[in-house]
Amino acid sequence: MAQILVVDDSSTVRNEVGDFLKANGLSVVTAVDGKDGLDKLKAHPSIKLVVSDVNMPNMDGLTMAEKIRNEHKNGAVGIIMLTTENSPAMKERGKAAGIKGWIVKPFNGPVVIGTLKKLVN
Amino acid sequence: MPQVVSKVLVLDDADAHFDSLKAFYEECGLVGIRPQQTGAANVMAILKSNVDLGGIMLYENFGGKGLELAREIHASRPELPIFLRRDAISSVAGLHEKDAGMFRCAYTLADLQQLRATLDSSIFSRVYPNDLVRGISEFTRNSLQSLFSGCDIDIETPYLVKDRIIYGEVFTMISIESHWCRGYMMFQTAEEAVLGLIRRAAGKEGANWTFRELNNVLGELTNLVWGSFKNRYVGHDNGNHNLQTQVPIIINHRSSYISFGSEDPQLCFKYVLRERNRPDAIPVPIFQRFVFNLNWSPEAFRENPSIETLVESGELELF
Repeated sequence: MAQILVVDDSSTVRNEVGDFLKANGLSVVTAVDGKDGLDKLKAHPSIKLVVSDVNMPNMDGLTMAEKIRNEHKNGAVGIIMLTTENSPAMKERGKAAGIKGWIVKPFNGPVVIGTLKKLVN
Repeated sequence: MPQVVSKVLVLDDADAHFDSLKAFYEECGLVGIRPQQTGAANVMAILKSNVDLGGIMLYENFGGKGLELAREIHASRPELPIFLRRDAISSVAGLHEKDAGMFRCAYTLADLQQLRATLDSSIFSRVYPNDLVRGISEFTRNSLQSLFSGCDIDIETPYLVKDRIIYGEVFTMISIESHWCRGYMMFQTAEEAVLGLIRRAAGKEGANWTFRELNNVLGELTNLVWGSFKNRYVGHDNGNHNLQTQVPIIINHRSSYISFGSEDPQLCFKYVLRERNRPDAIPVPIFQRFVFNLNWSPEAFRENPSIETLVESGELELF
């Protein structure tokens, strides 16, 4: 089964998003920051989509996305940011890193789930 | 959204003048609270509790010992301005120099306008844009609602405090950085009350939850509100202001006291969470405080003009 990696330093968000995705039939792996996200992505080749926060300790979500594309040479996995950030400059940086989409918190599961399923498939 | 108000402790037992004073307070945006008992011990007990005061309105002959009480209050809470009502003289004339220094001003019932000017310069020394006050309460309510979906959220009238007392046992703090204001935002609450809310909301899984889960929820609340503040009020070309200035923040755990090194009042909001399926449960307050101690330039305040075109919260914007 295709897996989704949820990366957020807040366990509240990891639980909320993870539980919602699982309840909608998706398999979920979680990570606590960008570094952990890279490790989990490497350890779980079946991950097809990453849903990540931007502002996190140790490594932020945009840096993680850039490393996924540039250092790990992984262009196949889809990346979506789930964040309170909404600045055009950050979105531009995200686009340049091949991010597929941007969700402004708080997470609204029903609005997002249909699109996520299409991206995973 | 109503105007921003401030609570004052009224230590004045001249009941004959109470109605006129009350009317004056309302006109000035003050909410007067009076102690049930007038003894000094009772007054000091009130001050030790968290009442979020903007100042003290003291009558010189309150309980027959107005000056004595003023000395005790000033020694214990020097950050609270004391306004002295006198019978005959609208000044501190006749008081010992050391005593006179305790009072922000002295006034009589005949010259309340003099008091008003002093209130404006001490308690209401900062004017917060209405759009800012309304916006903060709106997006904070939305953030609370997303985290406490089983609760109704009420918002009390925003108010200014000179107090530095921390409410409850848990507080979060995040720095606010923008081209027009710099400072901090805090949330303060009681651990058990909010932990009870999130445990019940989580059902069986929440039975063993501890303060760590509570910390996570409050941390996310702080993150969501700061994100909303930033998206709405901080320009995206936010690179020209001086971010180097910092001042020490002093926290005294024993006295539940926090100082940001500024005499300016804090802008406070009180949100009350009521569980929908437990109407008899005690409502849970969460306090939100803003202190703009590093920069306050409201003339440069503006809402981001692109706000209407921004993607709605929670929706996925595909690239």
